[in-house]
Amino acid sequence: MTEILLLARKDLKLLLRDRAGFFFTFFWPVIMAMFFGSVFGGGQSSGPSAIALIVVDQDQTEASERLISVLDGASEVRVIPGDVETAASNVRRGAVAAYLVVPEGFEAANRNRFVGGAPLVELRSDPSRIAEAGLLEGVLIRSGSVLLQDTFTDRAQMESMVDDNLLAIEAGPDFAERAQLQGFLEALKRLNDTGLVMPEGGTSAGGESAGGGLTPLTVDRRDVEIERAPRRPKNPYAVSFAQAMLWAVIGCSASFGISLAIERSQGTLVRLRMSPLRGSSILAGKGVACFVTAYSVSLFLVFLAVVVFGVRPLSWPLLLMALTCTALCFVGIMMLLSVLGRTERAAAGIGWAILLVMSMFGGGMVPLFVMPDWMKALSDFSPVKWGILAIEGAVWRGFGPLEMVLPCSILLAVGLVTFVIGSRLFQWGELG
Amino acid sequence: MKPRLLWQAGFLRAGKILALRTKRRTGRLACSSAPGQTERMPILSVRDLHKSYDATVAVDGLSFEIEAGEIFGLLGPNGAGKSTTIGLVVGLLQADSGSIVFSGLEGVLGVGSPEDPNVRRRLGVAPQALALYEDLTALENLTFFGKVQGVSAERLPSRLEWALELAGLEDVRFDRVSTFSGGMKRRLNLAVAIIHEPQLVLLDEPTVGVDPQSRIAIFERVSMLKEAGCTVVYTTHYMEEAQRLCDRIAIVDSGRLIGLDTVPRLIQEHGGQGLLTVTHADGEEVIHTNEPVDTLTKLKETTAVQTFGYQPPDLESVFLNLTGRALRD
Repeated sequence: MTEILLLARKDLKLLLRDRAGFFFTFFWPVIMAMFFGSVFGGGQSSGPSAIALIVVDQDQTEASERLISVLDGASEVRVIPGDVETAASNVRRGAVAAYLVVPEGFEAANRNRFVGGAPLVELRSDPSRIAEAGLLEGVLIRSGSVLLQDTFTDRAQMESMVDDNLLAIEAGPDFAERAQLQGFLEALKRLNDTGLVMPEGGTSAGGESAGGGLTPLTVDRRDVEIERAPRRPKNPYAVSFAQAMLWAVIGCSASFGISLAIERSQGTLVRLRMSPLRGSSILAGKGVACFVTAYSVSLFLVFLAVVVFGVRPLSWPLLLMALTCTALCFVGIMMLLSVLGRTERAAAGIGWAILLVMSMFGGGMVPLFVMPDWMKALSDFSPVKWGILAIEGAVWRGFGPLEMVLPCSILLAVGLVTFVIGSRLFQWGELG
Repeated sequence: MKPRLLWQAGFLRAGKILALRTKRRTGRLACSSAPGQTERMPILSVRDLHKSYDATVAVDGLSFEIEAGEIFGLLGPNGAGKSTTIGLVVGLLQADSGSIVFSGLEGVLGVGSPEDPNVRRRLGVAPQALALYEDLTALENLTFFGKVQGVSAERLPSRLEWALELAGLEDVRFDRVSTFSGGMKRRLNLAVAIIHEPQLVLLDEPTVGVDPQSRIAIFERVSMLKEAGCTVVYTTHYMEEAQRLCDRIAIVDSGRLIGLDTVPRLIQEHGGQGLLTVTHADGEEVIHTNEPVDTLTKLKETTAVQTFGYQPPDLESVFLNLTGRALRD
């Protein structure tokens, strides 16, 4: 163990001596986090691909089915039927941006919209995906307006609805605009009787009326309820710093992978190999140095995020666990990268190419939801995705230990497999 | 003075005192040798060594023994298999067949293989490529490799002083290696190889690319190692170096041993004839002979010799006679 620490200390000293390497390891991720944090505002911009929306139909009526069917027909949304528990869990894990509940009584509310107001639906969204939630809200209003349009274009339905609303007003308590609303409904009834109903597509989605009857839908939008202190990130940096931590760890992985290639080309690796040290100790020393650096830079970013940018992680123990698993994963990847190129230049080129692809597919550069579906499917194969998810889970998603198991297990497994393969394929170089 | 510098100054003072004590005790530069070891005992035996890379034969049945306390030269043209042989001896490469046995090493019971950490602790290798950390200082490189080689914390300060003095780098100990000249790097490369008092030192082309001053300095250091009781394997392209330093020389070509003996015997057996150059009234004449006095005496009987010069056969003659004059790439 002493010899491993000796080797690791040497690597850390070399890193500190390399000013450019030190800057890109410790400060570049901060700059990127600040940049993306300010650009994206913690959320993401709207994107071209369909947003997955889990829909829970608790009303199970013709009206609720009609709404869901209209929603499903919208190009921006891909409806997935489900139940509340599964839907909430999926949103917390980041699998989908939001879920929709069409509550019991939706159809009745739709029929009595002039008395009780527009029918209500519940949209529960991922706090970090503001833009997607906003887009979904817009699509919901538009779908609600189709429902309203159905009523206005069907004379029988219109008549029935107006009668029901008039009866409800008669039976209900007095209110300020009672007379005006009665007058409006009777006028509407007369208009309907004449057959001059609104043509299809001619309805207006906006415009408040007495009782809110012409508002297509009331969307109760909230962040996903999380067991402990559910809240959306207080500021955009809670999201961008998770990405920055991954970039930092990726940077460490690339740097140390390249440093192994440098040691190979400059002959120090051969000198170490000729020493009494075992080969496994030499590689372990490099791994420890990579881990310590990755962990240090992650903690440095956490420190900045907390002290300077006001990020408040929901669970410190889970955050440390996430950082540990992420760092270990990329130590293994470092070992694999180091065998891909014999020279420093080859190792750097191949290493960065692989890491950038991993980052791109894993949501380290571009938010996952703007990607086409085939790219989203591929993101599961990128450890970057699981690293970001684990860190976000601890920082603001409110993951419990059980929810951390999946991302952390994947990170550890990737780290172990890549380290073993890298160690087996490792070449020490030659004399002279 | 900053605390770190204070510590280093104290550390260096302690090292200097210990180094002086070591010198007084041993009366010469320290280099460990096995107790009761005699100079005629083989420290390394290589038997019928074979190594191929696909269809290329790098080492083809090489056999030799290296005796304790000698400087053993390994000579050969490019691609002769010298570096492969060193790689096999230090355990970097696995031989296809044959054996490499270390014997008589202090702390190693019986015989040892190159993979044995106890054997490796007693070997010192200065690779041809400068295997140093450019961003570390000379002192940091020596400290690091000293610890890697298992030098104890008590011995390390004196060993560092010894190594810095040997390399002539005492005044630049805190400078980064990247600021060093080629000669300084070569000397540090040598110092790193012997920081842990190895019994067998392998120097692979230790004077490549250095100025004459550094080359002379390296020669002196190698001679000092021999005086200190170290066994040295010296690989070089330079015939005058081998001739000057080595007790015995092995000449290898195409992975095979084609000559092994002391320098005088090699010259006697393979050197051919010397060159006697004579100028007289008719011009210059070159005569191949190993008896220049007799030849000159006979010549003077018939010709008025104006000037003459004689170049006796040397190691270069041996080398060219044994390996031929064809270019090697």
